[in-house]
Amino acid sequence: MSAAPAVGRAAAPARHAFSLRPSRPPPKIRKPLKRGDKGLPIPRCKILIRDTHPSRMMDHYFNTLQDDLMYMTYVHESGPRKPPRQIRLKFDPEDPYTKNRANMPVGGSHVGREPAPVSSWDNVVRLERVQIHTMVKEAVSNRTNLLGPIMMLRAISGETEGGGGWRTSEGVQVVRGVKAIGGWLRPGVPIGAKVDLKGPKMYDFISTLTEFVLPRLREFSGFVMPASSQQNFTPSSVSGVVSLGLPPEAMGLFPQIEVNLDAYPATTGMHIHFITNAEGQGAQNKARALLSGCQVPFVRK
Amino acid sequence: MSALPRCSSCFPRSASTRHGIILSRSLATEASAGPSTTPAQPTPAPSKAKIYETIRTAVILNRAPFLTRIPSRFERAFHAYQQRIQRALHNPFPYEFYFKQGSLLETKFQAEERRRERMMLGAPFGLAEAQTNAGTKAQSARESAVEALDREEEEIIPRISKADESNDVRSLDRKGERNLYLLLQKNSDDKQVWRFPEGQLQKGEVLHEAAERNLFAECGAGMDTWVVSRNPVGLYRHSSTGTPSPSHLFFYKAHIMAGQVRPNGTNVLDYAWLTKEEMEERLDKEYWVAVRDMLSDF
Repeated sequence: MSAAPAVGRAAAPARHAFSLRPSRPPPKIRKPLKRGDKGLPIPRCKILIRDTHPSRMMDHYFNTLQDDLMYMTYVHESGPRKPPRQIRLKFDPEDPYTKNRANMPVGGSHVGREPAPVSSWDNVVRLERVQIHTMVKEAVSNRTNLLGPIMMLRAISGETEGGGGWRTSEGVQVVRGVKAIGGWLRPGVPIGAKVDLKGPKMYDFISTLTEFVLPRLREFSGFVMPASSQQNFTPSSVSGVVSLGLPPEAMGLFPQIEVNLDAYPATTGMHIHFITNAEGQGAQNKARALLSGCQVPFVRK
Repeated sequence: MSALPRCSSCFPRSASTRHGIILSRSLATEASAGPSTTPAQPTPAPSKAKIYETIRTAVILNRAPFLTRIPSRFERAFHAYQQRIQRALHNPFPYEFYFKQGSLLETKFQAEERRRERMMLGAPFGLAEAQTNAGTKAQSARESAVEALDREEEEIIPRISKADESNDVRSLDRKGERNLYLLLQKNSDDKQVWRFPEGQLQKGEVLHEAAERNLFAECGAGMDTWVVSRNPVGLYRHSSTGTPSPSHLFFYKAHIMAGQVRPNGTNVLDYAWLTKEEMEERLDKEYWVAVRDMLSDF
Protein backbone atom coordinates (compact mmCIF):
# COMPACT_ATOMS: atom_id res chain seq x y z
CA MET A 1 0.00 0.00 0.00
CA SER A 2 1.02 3.59 -0.26
CA ALA A 3 3.65 5.07 2.00
CA ALA A 4 1.17 7.30 3.78
CA PRO A 5 -1.91 5.18 4.21
CA ALA A 6 -5.20 6.88 4.78
CA VAL A 7 -5.67 5.24 8.12
CA GLY A 8 -6.86 7.64 10.66
CA ARG A 9 -7.34 11.32 10.48
CA ALA A 10 -9.67 12.14 7.74
CA ALA A 11 -10.16 15.58 6.33
CA ALA A 12 -13.48 17.18 7.11
CA PRO A 13 -15.94 16.83 4.26
CA ALA A 14 -15.74 19.65 1.77
CA ARG A 15 -17.72 22.62 2.98
CA HIS A 16 -20.95 22.97 1.11
CA ALA A 17 -22.51 26.10 -0.10
CA PHE A 18 -25.51 25.95 2.20
CA SER A 19 -25.32 27.07 5.80
CA LEU A 20 -26.65 25.06 8.70
CA ARG A 21 -27.60 28.25 10.50
CA PRO A 22 -30.58 30.22 9.24
CA SER A 23 -29.11 33.25 7.57
CA ARG A 24 -32.26 35.30 7.62
CA PRO A 25 -33.78 36.81 10.76
CA PRO A 26 -36.48 34.77 12.49
CA PRO A 27 -40.12 35.66 11.65
CA LYS A 28 -41.89 38.26 13.77
CA ILE A 29 -43.61 36.94 16.84
CA ARG A 30 -47.32 37.57 16.48
CA LYS A 31 -48.51 35.84 19.58
CA PRO A 32 -46.03 35.91 22.46
CA LEU A 33 -45.45 32.74 24.44
CA LYS A 34 -46.96 32.26 27.88
CA ARG A 35 -44.56 32.75 30.73
CA GLY A 36 -44.06 30.48 33.72
CA ASP A 37 -43.70 31.45 37.39
CA LYS A 38 -40.04 32.33 36.86
CA GLY A 39 -40.86 34.62 33.95
CA LEU A 40 -39.46 32.19 31.39
CA PRO A 41 -41.37 31.53 28.16
CA ILE A 42 -43.11 28.17 27.86
CA PRO A 43 -42.77 26.65 24.37
CA ARG A 44 -45.99 25.52 22.67
CA CYS A 45 -44.76 21.99 22.26
CA LYS A 46 -42.58 19.68 24.32
CA ILE A 47 -38.99 20.02 23.12
CA LEU A 48 -36.76 16.95 23.26
CA ILE A 49 -33.11 17.00 22.32
CA ARG A 50 -32.10 14.07 20.15
CA ASP A 51 -28.76 13.09 18.64
CA THR A 52 -26.44 16.06 18.32
CA HIS A 53 -23.59 14.31 16.53
CA PRO A 54 -22.78 11.00 14.84
CA SER A 55 -21.46 8.43 17.31
CA ARG A 56 -18.42 6.53 16.13
CA MET A 57 -18.62 3.63 18.55
CA MET A 58 -22.33 3.19 17.88
CA ASP A 59 -21.63 3.01 14.15
CA HIS A 60 -18.93 0.43 14.85
CA TYR A 61 -21.40 -1.68 16.81
CA PHE A 62 -24.09 -1.58 14.16
CA ASN A 63 -21.74 -1.93 11.16
CA THR A 64 -19.30 -4.56 12.34
CA LEU A 65 -19.78 -5.85 15.86
CA GLN A 66 -23.41 -6.86 15.69
CA ASP A 67 -22.89 -9.18 12.72
CA ASP A 68 -19.82 -10.77 14.24
CA LEU A 69 -21.49 -11.28 17.60
CA MET A 70 -24.46 -12.91 15.93
CA TYR A 71 -22.17 -15.39 14.17
CA MET A 72 -20.10 -16.00 17.30
CA THR A 73 -22.97 -16.60 19.69
CA TYR A 74 -25.30 -18.46 17.35
CA VAL A 75 -26.30 -21.88 18.62
CA HIS A 76 -27.94 -24.13 16.08
CA GLU A 77 -31.00 -26.03 17.23
CA SER A 78 -32.82 -28.47 15.01
CA GLY A 79 -36.51 -28.10 15.65
CA PRO A 80 -38.39 -26.49 18.52
CA ARG A 81 -37.25 -26.95 22.10
CA LYS A 82 -38.75 -29.39 24.50
CA PRO A 83 -41.01 -27.72 27.05
CA PRO A 84 -39.21 -27.11 30.35
CA ARG A 85 -39.44 -29.82 32.97
CA GLN A 86 -42.30 -29.26 35.38
CA ILE A 87 -40.84 -29.40 38.87
CA ARG A 88 -43.19 -29.93 41.76
CA LEU A 89 -43.47 -27.06 44.23
CA LYS A 90 -42.37 -27.67 47.77
CA PHE A 91 -45.83 -27.19 49.21
CA ASP A 92 -49.20 -28.04 47.73
CA PRO A 93 -50.58 -24.72 46.40
CA GLU A 94 -54.14 -25.87 47.16
CA ASP A 95 -53.36 -26.49 50.82
CA PRO A 96 -54.72 -23.57 52.87
CA TYR A 97 -52.32 -24.42 55.70
CA THR A 98 -49.23 -23.44 53.61
CA LYS A 99 -50.99 -20.73 51.62
CA ASN A 100 -48.74 -17.77 52.48
CA ARG A 101 -45.42 -19.56 52.61
CA ALA A 102 -42.76 -18.93 50.01
CA ASN A 103 -43.38 -21.83 47.65
CA MET A 104 -40.17 -22.71 45.77
CA PRO A 105 -39.71 -25.70 43.50
CA VAL A 106 -38.17 -28.66 45.29
CA GLY A 107 -34.40 -28.64 45.07
CA GLY A 108 -34.08 -24.90 45.35
CA SER A 109 -34.27 -22.02 42.91
CA HIS A 110 -33.69 -22.71 39.23
CA VAL A 111 -32.94 -19.12 38.30
CA GLY A 112 -29.37 -19.80 37.20
CA ARG A 113 -30.31 -22.91 35.24
CA GLU A 114 -32.49 -21.18 32.68
CA PRO A 115 -31.11 -21.87 29.19
CA ALA A 116 -30.30 -18.95 26.91
CA PRO A 117 -33.13 -17.98 24.59
CA VAL A 118 -33.11 -19.37 21.05
CA SER A 119 -30.58 -17.48 18.92
CA SER A 120 -32.20 -15.13 16.50
CA TRP A 121 -31.41 -11.96 14.60
CA ASP A 122 -33.23 -9.78 17.14
CA ASN A 123 -31.63 -11.02 20.34
CA VAL A 124 -28.01 -10.45 19.40
CA VAL A 125 -26.25 -9.14 22.49
CA ARG A 126 -26.43 -5.34 22.72
CA LEU A 127 -25.78 -2.76 25.39
CA GLU A 128 -28.87 -1.43 27.09
CA ARG A 129 -27.21 0.97 29.51
CA VAL A 130 -24.06 1.67 31.41
CA GLN A 131 -24.18 2.56 35.07
CA ILE A 132 -21.31 4.37 36.74
CA HIS A 133 -21.29 4.13 40.50
CA THR A 134 -19.00 5.34 43.23
CA MET A 135 -19.10 4.88 46.98
CA VAL A 136 -17.53 7.47 49.24
CA LYS A 137 -17.00 6.24 52.78
CA GLU A 138 -16.15 9.71 54.06
CA ALA A 139 -19.65 10.89 53.11
CA VAL A 140 -21.04 9.13 56.19
CA SER A 141 -19.30 11.56 58.52
CA ASN A 142 -19.65 14.61 56.33
CA ARG A 143 -21.98 14.64 53.37
CA THR A 144 -20.14 17.47 51.61
CA ASN A 145 -17.46 14.92 50.79
CA LEU A 146 -19.91 13.64 48.20
CA LEU A 147 -19.84 16.86 46.19
CA GLY A 148 -16.55 16.12 44.41
CA PRO A 149 -17.60 12.65 43.19
CA ILE A 150 -21.01 13.97 42.10
CA MET A 151 -19.40 16.69 40.00
CA MET A 152 -16.90 14.18 38.66
CA LEU A 153 -19.69 11.87 37.47
CA ARG A 154 -21.47 14.84 35.97
CA ALA A 155 -18.34 15.87 34.08
CA ILE A 156 -17.76 12.34 32.78
CA SER A 157 -21.33 11.62 31.79
CA GLY A 158 -22.72 15.03 30.87
CA GLU A 159 -26.05 13.89 32.31
CA THR A 160 -28.36 16.23 34.22
CA GLU A 161 -31.76 15.69 35.74
CA GLY A 162 -34.37 16.03 33.02
CA GLY A 163 -31.56 16.93 30.63
CA GLY A 164 -32.62 17.47 27.01
CA GLY A 165 -36.26 17.57 28.11
CA TRP A 166 -36.25 13.82 28.73
CA ARG A 167 -38.32 12.78 31.71
CA THR A 168 -36.31 9.56 31.93
CA SER A 169 -32.98 11.33 32.22
CA GLU A 170 -32.23 11.20 35.92
CA GLY A 171 -28.80 12.77 36.00
CA VAL A 172 -26.39 11.98 38.80
CA GLN A 173 -28.27 10.44 41.71
CA VAL A 174 -27.25 10.21 45.32
CA VAL A 175 -27.19 6.65 46.65
CA ARG A 176 -28.39 6.30 50.22
CA GLY A 177 -27.89 3.61 52.80
CA VAL A 178 -30.64 1.01 52.88
CA LYS A 179 -29.83 -1.02 55.96
CA ALA A 180 -28.38 -0.07 59.31
CA ILE A 181 -24.86 -1.40 59.66
CA GLY A 182 -23.83 -1.41 63.31
CA GLY A 183 -22.11 1.79 64.35
CA TRP A 184 -21.41 2.96 60.82
CA LEU A 185 -24.34 3.37 58.45
CA ARG A 186 -27.96 4.24 59.00
CA PRO A 187 -30.79 4.00 56.46
CA GLY A 188 -31.16 7.16 54.39
CA VAL A 189 -27.60 8.40 54.86
CA PRO A 190 -25.95 9.47 51.57
CA ILE A 191 -23.09 7.09 50.82
CA GLY A 192 -22.40 7.36 47.10
CA ALA A 193 -23.43 8.59 43.70
CA LYS A 194 -24.44 6.91 40.46
CA VAL A 195 -25.42 7.85 36.94
CA ASP A 196 -27.07 5.91 34.12
CA LEU A 197 -25.97 6.34 30.52
CA LYS A 198 -27.97 5.29 27.48
CA GLY A 199 -27.82 5.75 23.74
CA PRO A 200 -25.04 7.73 22.01
CA LYS A 201 -23.72 9.11 25.32
CA MET A 202 -23.16 5.55 26.49
CA TYR A 203 -21.15 4.69 23.38
CA ASP A 204 -19.18 7.94 23.70
CA PHE A 205 -18.32 7.03 27.28
CA ILE A 206 -17.03 3.61 26.18
CA SER A 207 -14.86 5.12 23.49
CA THR A 208 -13.43 7.63 25.98
CA LEU A 209 -12.72 4.79 28.36
CA THR A 210 -11.00 2.58 25.83
CA GLU A 211 -9.03 5.29 24.06
CA PHE A 212 -7.98 7.70 26.79
CA VAL A 213 -8.18 5.92 30.12
CA LEU A 214 -7.31 2.24 29.82
CA PRO A 215 -4.26 2.62 27.52
CA ARG A 216 -2.73 5.14 29.91
CA LEU A 217 -3.30 3.16 33.11
CA ARG A 218 -0.02 2.00 34.61
CA GLU A 219 0.64 -1.71 35.05
CA PHE A 220 -2.71 -2.65 33.62
CA SER A 221 -2.92 -5.50 31.15
CA GLY A 222 -6.66 -6.03 31.25
CA PHE A 223 -9.59 -6.80 33.49
CA VAL A 224 -9.17 -10.21 35.06
CA MET A 225 -11.90 -12.68 34.19
CA PRO A 226 -13.04 -15.40 36.57
CA ALA A 227 -11.40 -18.80 36.07
CA SER A 228 -12.90 -20.89 33.30
CA SER A 229 -13.61 -23.61 35.85
CA GLN A 230 -16.11 -21.35 37.58
CA GLN A 231 -19.68 -22.62 37.60
CA ASN A 232 -21.69 -21.18 34.74
CA PHE A 233 -24.97 -20.91 36.60
CA THR A 234 -24.08 -18.37 39.26
CA PRO A 235 -26.45 -15.39 39.37
CA SER A 236 -23.77 -13.09 37.94
CA SER A 237 -22.90 -15.30 35.00
CA VAL A 238 -26.50 -15.63 33.83
CA SER A 239 -27.46 -11.97 34.19
CA GLY A 240 -25.65 -10.44 31.20
CA VAL A 241 -24.05 -7.70 33.30
CA VAL A 242 -20.30 -7.07 33.31
CA SER A 243 -18.98 -4.97 36.18
CA LEU A 244 -15.54 -3.41 36.12
CA GLY A 245 -13.76 -1.28 38.67
CA LEU A 246 -11.42 1.65 38.09
CA PRO A 247 -8.89 2.84 40.71
CA PRO A 248 -8.74 6.51 41.81
CA GLU A 249 -5.69 7.12 39.58
CA ALA A 250 -7.77 6.28 36.51
CA MET A 251 -10.21 9.10 37.15
CA GLY A 252 -7.63 11.73 36.33
CA LEU A 253 -7.16 10.15 32.90
CA PHE A 254 -10.63 11.04 31.69
CA PRO A 255 -10.12 14.12 29.49
CA GLN A 256 -13.14 15.81 31.06
CA ILE A 257 -11.49 15.59 34.49
CA GLU A 258 -7.89 15.90 33.39
CA VAL A 259 -8.53 19.42 32.13
CA ASN A 260 -9.05 20.72 35.66
CA LEU A 261 -8.07 18.01 38.06
CA ASP A 262 -7.43 20.57 40.82
CA ALA A 263 -11.14 21.34 41.06
CA TYR A 264 -11.87 17.99 42.67
CA PRO A 265 -10.98 17.86 46.34
CA ALA A 266 -10.28 14.13 46.52
CA THR A 267 -10.53 11.50 43.85
CA THR A 268 -12.34 8.21 44.28
CA GLY A 269 -12.48 5.20 42.02
CA MET A 270 -15.64 3.96 40.39
CA HIS A 271 -17.52 0.87 39.34
CA ILE A 272 -18.84 0.59 35.81
CA HIS A 273 -21.68 -1.80 35.13
CA PHE A 274 -22.29 -2.67 31.49
CA ILE A 275 -25.86 -3.92 31.30
CA THR A 276 -26.74 -5.92 28.20
CA ASN A 277 -29.84 -7.70 26.96
CA ALA A 278 -28.18 -11.14 27.24
CA GLU A 279 -29.87 -13.60 29.59
CA GLY A 280 -29.72 -17.27 30.47
CA GLN A 281 -26.67 -19.48 30.63
CA GLY A 282 -23.53 -17.95 29.15
CA ALA A 283 -24.98 -14.44 29.21
CA GLN A 284 -21.99 -12.84 30.89
CA ASN A 285 -19.61 -14.36 28.36
CA LYS A 286 -21.66 -12.85 25.55
CA ALA A 287 -21.55 -9.47 27.27
CA ARG A 288 -17.76 -9.78 27.62
CA ALA A 289 -17.44 -10.63 23.94
CA LEU A 290 -19.37 -7.46 23.15
CA LEU A 291 -17.12 -5.35 25.38
CA SER A 292 -14.04 -6.98 23.97
CA GLY A 293 -15.23 -5.89 20.54
CA CYS A 294 -15.40 -2.34 21.91
CA GLN A 295 -11.70 -2.78 22.76
CA VAL A 296 -12.05 -3.27 26.51
CA PRO A 297 -9.18 -5.68 27.35
CA PHE A 298 -9.82 -8.87 29.36
CA VAL A 299 -7.23 -11.31 30.62
CA ARG A 300 -7.29 -14.71 32.26
CA LYS A 301 -5.44 -14.99 35.55
CA MET B 1 -11.78 -7.71 15.67
CA SER B 2 -11.02 -4.92 13.33
CA ALA B 3 -10.06 -1.43 14.29
CA LEU B 4 -12.71 1.16 14.81
CA PRO B 5 -13.35 3.73 12.14
CA ARG B 6 -11.51 6.95 12.85
CA CYS B 7 -12.67 10.51 12.54
CA SER B 8 -10.66 13.68 12.31
CA SER B 9 -10.78 14.29 16.06
CA CYS B 10 -9.23 11.03 17.15
CA PHE B 11 -6.27 10.38 14.97
CA PRO B 12 -2.82 9.64 16.38
CA ARG B 13 -0.56 12.38 15.12
CA SER B 14 2.41 10.23 14.17
CA ALA B 15 0.46 7.59 12.30
CA SER B 16 1.79 8.33 8.84
CA THR B 17 5.37 7.66 9.87
CA ARG B 18 4.39 4.83 12.14
CA HIS B 19 2.47 2.96 9.49
CA GLY B 20 5.17 3.53 6.94
CA ILE B 21 7.24 0.86 8.63
CA ILE B 22 4.29 -1.24 9.84
CA LEU B 23 4.88 -1.21 13.55
CA SER B 24 1.23 -1.37 14.36
CA ARG B 25 -0.45 -4.62 13.43
CA SER B 26 -3.90 -3.41 14.27
CA LEU B 27 -4.90 -2.25 10.82
CA ALA B 28 -4.86 -4.00 7.52
CA THR B 29 -2.15 -1.90 5.99
CA GLU B 30 0.86 -3.02 4.09
CA ALA B 31 2.59 -2.12 0.89
CA SER B 32 0.67 -3.96 -1.77
CA ALA B 33 2.43 -6.59 -3.75
CA GLY B 34 1.42 -7.24 -7.32
CA PRO B 35 -0.52 -10.33 -8.20
CA SER B 36 2.52 -12.06 -9.63
CA THR B 37 4.70 -12.08 -6.54
CA THR B 38 6.92 -15.07 -6.06
CA PRO B 39 5.58 -17.53 -3.51
CA ALA B 40 8.27 -16.78 -0.95
CA GLN B 41 6.19 -17.81 2.04
CA PRO B 42 5.82 -21.45 2.89
CA THR B 43 2.44 -22.44 1.56
CA PRO B 44 0.83 -25.61 2.86
CA ALA B 45 1.88 -28.48 0.68
CA PRO B 46 -0.93 -30.34 -1.08
CA SER B 47 -1.56 -33.33 1.12
CA LYS B 48 -2.63 -36.79 0.08
CA ALA B 49 -5.53 -36.80 2.52
CA LYS B 50 -8.88 -38.02 1.33
CA ILE B 51 -11.20 -35.24 0.30
CA TYR B 52 -14.94 -34.98 0.14
CA GLU B 53 -16.09 -34.20 -3.38
CA THR B 54 -19.33 -32.47 -2.53
CA ILE B 55 -18.40 -30.38 0.51
CA ARG B 56 -16.43 -27.18 0.06
CA THR B 57 -15.75 -24.18 2.29
CA ALA B 58 -15.31 -20.55 1.29
CA VAL B 59 -14.15 -17.55 3.30
CA ILE B 60 -15.72 -14.12 3.02
CA LEU B 61 -12.67 -12.08 3.96
CA ASN B 62 -13.73 -8.65 5.09
CA ARG B 63 -11.86 -5.42 5.54
CA ALA B 64 -13.98 -3.39 7.95
CA PRO B 65 -14.36 0.37 7.47
CA PHE B 66 -11.57 2.43 9.03
CA LEU B 67 -12.98 5.88 8.39
CA THR B 68 -16.16 7.31 9.83
CA ARG B 69 -19.04 7.67 7.47
CA ILE B 70 -19.70 11.15 6.08
CA PRO B 71 -23.12 12.12 7.38
CA SER B 72 -25.68 12.99 4.74
CA ARG B 73 -26.76 16.57 4.24
CA PHE B 74 -29.98 15.86 6.11
CA GLU B 75 -28.08 14.33 9.02
CA ARG B 76 -25.78 17.32 9.25
CA ALA B 77 -28.70 19.73 9.22
CA PHE B 78 -30.51 17.64 11.84
CA HIS B 79 -27.47 17.51 14.13
CA ALA B 80 -26.86 21.24 13.77
CA TYR B 81 -30.50 21.94 14.66
CA GLN B 82 -30.33 19.68 17.71
CA GLN B 83 -27.09 21.32 18.80
CA ARG B 84 -28.73 24.73 18.62
CA ILE B 85 -31.67 23.55 20.72
CA GLN B 86 -29.27 22.04 23.20
CA ARG B 87 -27.26 25.23 23.47
CA ALA B 88 -30.37 27.31 23.96
CA LEU B 89 -32.12 25.07 26.45
CA HIS B 90 -29.43 23.19 28.40
CA ASN B 91 -29.59 22.93 32.17
CA PRO B 92 -27.51 25.55 33.96
CA PHE B 93 -23.83 24.72 34.25
CA PRO B 94 -22.23 25.16 37.69
CA TYR B 95 -19.21 27.31 36.75
CA GLU B 96 -18.43 28.10 40.36
CA PHE B 97 -17.57 24.50 41.16
CA TYR B 98 -15.43 23.73 38.16
CA PHE B 99 -13.43 26.97 37.86
CA LYS B 100 -11.66 29.17 40.36
CA GLN B 101 -12.63 32.77 39.86
CA GLY B 102 -10.21 34.67 37.62
CA SER B 103 -8.17 31.59 36.75
CA LEU B 104 -6.63 31.09 33.34
CA LEU B 105 -8.83 28.09 32.76
CA GLU B 106 -11.98 30.07 33.42
CA THR B 107 -10.91 32.74 30.96
CA LYS B 108 -10.20 30.15 28.33
CA PHE B 109 -13.49 28.40 28.91
CA GLN B 110 -15.48 31.62 28.68
CA ALA B 111 -13.78 32.61 25.45
CA GLU B 112 -14.47 29.22 23.93
CA GLU B 113 -18.02 29.25 25.18
CA ARG B 114 -18.67 32.65 23.61
CA ARG B 115 -17.24 31.48 20.32
CA ARG B 116 -19.42 28.39 20.36
CA GLU B 117 -22.49 30.43 21.22
CA ARG B 118 -21.81 32.85 18.40
CA MET B 119 -21.29 30.02 15.94
CA MET B 120 -24.41 28.18 17.01
CA LEU B 121 -26.97 30.90 17.58
CA GLY B 122 -25.86 33.84 15.45
CA ALA B 123 -24.92 37.46 15.82
CA PRO B 124 -26.16 39.05 19.03
CA PHE B 125 -25.23 35.94 21.00
CA GLY B 126 -21.69 35.35 22.09
CA LEU B 127 -20.49 38.90 21.48
CA ALA B 128 -18.21 40.25 24.18
CA GLU B 129 -19.88 42.89 26.38
CA ALA B 130 -19.27 46.53 25.46
CA GLN B 131 -15.74 47.30 26.44
CA THR B 132 -16.16 50.34 28.60
CA ASN B 133 -13.87 49.80 31.50
CA ALA B 134 -10.29 48.67 31.76
CA GLY B 135 -11.28 45.37 33.35
CA THR B 136 -12.96 43.93 30.29
CA LYS B 137 -10.14 45.17 28.09
CA ALA B 138 -7.64 43.32 30.21
CA GLN B 139 -9.94 40.33 30.07
CA SER B 140 -10.06 40.28 26.28
CA ALA B 141 -6.29 40.74 26.06
CA ARG B 142 -5.88 37.75 28.33
CA GLU B 143 -8.28 35.72 26.20
CA SER B 144 -6.44 36.45 22.99
CA ALA B 145 -3.13 35.52 24.64
CA VAL B 146 -4.63 32.22 25.78
CA GLU B 147 -6.01 31.54 22.31
CA ALA B 148 -2.65 32.21 20.72
CA LEU B 149 -1.12 29.63 23.02
CA ASP B 150 -3.65 27.01 22.03
CA ARG B 151 -3.49 27.51 18.30
CA GLU B 152 -1.78 24.50 16.83
CA GLU B 153 -1.11 23.39 13.34
CA GLU B 154 -2.91 20.16 12.62
CA GLU B 155 -1.92 17.96 9.77
CA ILE B 156 -4.83 16.43 7.92
CA ILE B 157 -4.63 13.28 5.86
CA PRO B 158 -7.16 13.27 3.03
CA ARG B 159 -10.07 10.84 3.14
CA ILE B 160 -9.39 9.90 -0.45
CA SER B 161 -6.27 7.78 -0.74
CA LYS B 162 -4.00 7.23 -3.71
CA ALA B 163 -5.69 3.89 -4.27
CA ASP B 164 -9.01 5.69 -4.74
CA GLU B 165 -7.54 8.10 -7.24
CA SER B 166 -5.95 5.38 -9.34
CA ASN B 167 -8.88 2.99 -8.69
CA ASP B 168 -6.48 0.29 -7.55
CA VAL B 169 -8.79 -2.57 -6.57
CA ARG B 170 -5.92 -4.56 -5.06
CA SER B 171 -5.23 -1.96 -2.41
CA LEU B 172 -6.62 -2.22 1.12
CA ASP B 173 -6.53 1.56 1.36
CA ARG B 174 -9.41 2.12 -1.00
CA LYS B 175 -12.91 3.16 0.12
CA GLY B 176 -12.02 3.68 3.77
CA GLU B 177 -15.60 4.09 4.91
CA ARG B 178 -16.97 0.94 3.27
CA ASN B 179 -16.77 -2.78 3.97
CA LEU B 180 -14.53 -4.45 1.40
CA TYR B 181 -14.50 -8.14 0.50
CA LEU B 182 -11.82 -10.24 -1.16
CA LEU B 183 -12.55 -11.89 -4.51
CA LEU B 184 -10.09 -14.10 -6.38
CA GLN B 185 -9.97 -14.67 -10.12
CA LYS B 186 -9.54 -18.31 -11.04
CA ASN B 187 -9.51 -20.61 -14.02
CA SER B 188 -12.53 -22.84 -14.16
CA ASP B 189 -13.40 -24.94 -17.24
CA ASP B 190 -11.34 -22.75 -19.63
CA LYS B 191 -13.10 -19.73 -18.23
CA GLN B 192 -11.97 -17.07 -15.80
CA VAL B 193 -14.36 -16.59 -12.93
CA TRP B 194 -14.35 -14.47 -9.77
CA ARG B 195 -14.89 -16.41 -6.56
CA PHE B 196 -14.33 -16.11 -2.81
CA PRO B 197 -11.27 -18.07 -1.61
CA GLU B 198 -12.51 -21.64 -1.36
CA GLY B 199 -11.41 -25.25 -1.28
CA GLN B 200 -12.36 -28.77 -0.41
CA LEU B 201 -12.85 -30.50 2.91
CA GLN B 202 -10.42 -33.22 3.88
CA LYS B 203 -11.27 -36.30 5.83
CA GLY B 204 -10.97 -35.86 9.58
CA GLU B 205 -11.14 -32.09 9.35
CA VAL B 206 -13.86 -29.81 10.65
CA LEU B 207 -15.41 -27.14 8.49
CA HIS B 208 -13.89 -24.02 10.08
CA GLU B 209 -10.40 -25.55 9.99
CA ALA B 210 -10.83 -26.36 6.33
CA ALA B 211 -11.94 -22.77 5.70
CA GLU B 212 -8.80 -21.37 7.30
CA ARG B 213 -6.51 -23.86 5.56
CA ASN B 214 -8.00 -23.14 2.15
CA LEU B 215 -7.73 -19.40 2.71
CA PHE B 216 -3.99 -19.65 3.37
CA ALA B 217 -3.48 -22.12 0.54
CA GLU B 218 -4.95 -19.70 -1.99
CA CYS B 219 -3.90 -16.33 -0.59
CA GLY B 220 -0.51 -17.08 0.97
CA ALA B 221 0.56 -16.78 4.58
CA GLY B 222 1.34 -13.06 4.42
CA MET B 223 -1.91 -12.12 6.12
CA ASP B 224 -3.10 -11.75 9.65
CA THR B 225 -6.70 -12.97 9.62
CA TRP B 226 -9.34 -13.99 12.09
CA VAL B 227 -12.21 -16.33 11.25
CA VAL B 228 -15.13 -14.98 13.24
CA SER B 229 -17.03 -18.12 14.17
CA ARG B 230 -17.04 -21.87 13.98
CA ASN B 231 -20.48 -21.73 12.46
CA PRO B 232 -20.82 -21.14 8.75
CA VAL B 233 -22.67 -17.93 7.87
CA GLY B 234 -24.21 -19.28 4.72
CA LEU B 235 -24.68 -22.23 2.40
CA TYR B 236 -24.77 -22.41 -1.38
CA ARG B 237 -26.09 -25.64 -2.92
CA HIS B 238 -25.63 -26.19 -6.59
CA SER B 239 -25.51 -29.20 -8.88
CA SER B 240 -22.94 -29.09 -11.62
CA THR B 241 -23.33 -31.18 -14.77
CA GLY B 242 -22.04 -34.71 -14.58
CA THR B 243 -22.19 -35.14 -10.81
CA PRO B 244 -25.07 -37.04 -9.28
CA SER B 245 -25.25 -35.26 -5.91
CA PRO B 246 -25.40 -31.51 -5.38
CA SER B 247 -22.31 -29.74 -4.10
CA HIS B 248 -22.43 -27.81 -0.81
CA LEU B 249 -20.39 -24.68 -0.33
CA PHE B 250 -20.24 -23.36 3.25
CA PHE B 251 -19.26 -19.72 3.81
CA TYR B 252 -17.28 -18.40 6.78
CA LYS B 253 -16.75 -14.78 7.71
CA ALA B 254 -13.23 -13.56 8.48
CA HIS B 255 -11.51 -10.22 9.05
CA ILE B 256 -8.14 -9.15 7.76
CA MET B 257 -6.04 -7.40 10.40
CA ALA B 258 -2.73 -6.91 8.61
CA GLY B 259 -0.86 -8.05 5.55
CA GLN B 260 -1.99 -8.53 2.02
CA VAL B 261 -2.96 -11.33 -0.34
CA ARG B 262 -0.04 -13.01 -2.17
CA PRO B 263 -1.56 -15.36 -4.71
CA ASN B 264 0.58 -18.33 -5.69
CA GLY B 265 0.18 -17.58 -9.40
CA THR B 266 -0.86 -21.08 -10.44
CA ASN B 267 -4.51 -21.41 -9.62
CA VAL B 268 -5.28 -17.84 -8.62
CA LEU B 269 -4.74 -15.28 -11.36
CA ASP B 270 -5.75 -12.05 -9.71
CA TYR B 271 -7.45 -10.63 -6.64
CA ALA B 272 -9.56 -7.60 -5.80
CA TRP B 273 -10.94 -5.88 -2.69
CA LEU B 274 -14.46 -4.85 -3.62
CA THR B 275 -17.58 -3.34 -2.16
CA LYS B 276 -20.88 -5.13 -2.48
CA GLU B 277 -22.02 -3.21 -5.57
CA GLU B 278 -18.72 -3.75 -7.35
CA MET B 279 -18.97 -7.49 -6.79
CA GLU B 280 -22.25 -7.85 -8.60
CA GLU B 281 -20.74 -7.17 -12.01
CA ARG B 282 -17.92 -9.69 -11.53
CA LEU B 283 -19.89 -12.62 -10.14
CA ASP B 284 -22.22 -14.74 -12.21
CA LYS B 285 -25.92 -14.41 -11.52
CA GLU B 286 -26.56 -17.61 -9.60
CA TYR B 287 -23.54 -17.21 -7.33
CA TRP B 288 -24.35 -13.56 -6.69
CA VAL B 289 -27.92 -14.37 -5.64
CA ALA B 290 -26.55 -16.97 -3.23
CA VAL B 291 -24.00 -14.71 -1.56
CA ARG B 292 -25.48 -11.22 -1.66
CA ASP B 293 -27.37 -11.48 1.63
CA MET B 294 -24.19 -12.40 3.51
CA LEU B 295 -22.55 -9.09 2.61
CA SER B 296 -22.91 -5.77 4.29
CA ASP B 297 -24.79 -3.14 2.33
CA PHE B 298 -22.65 -0.40 3.70
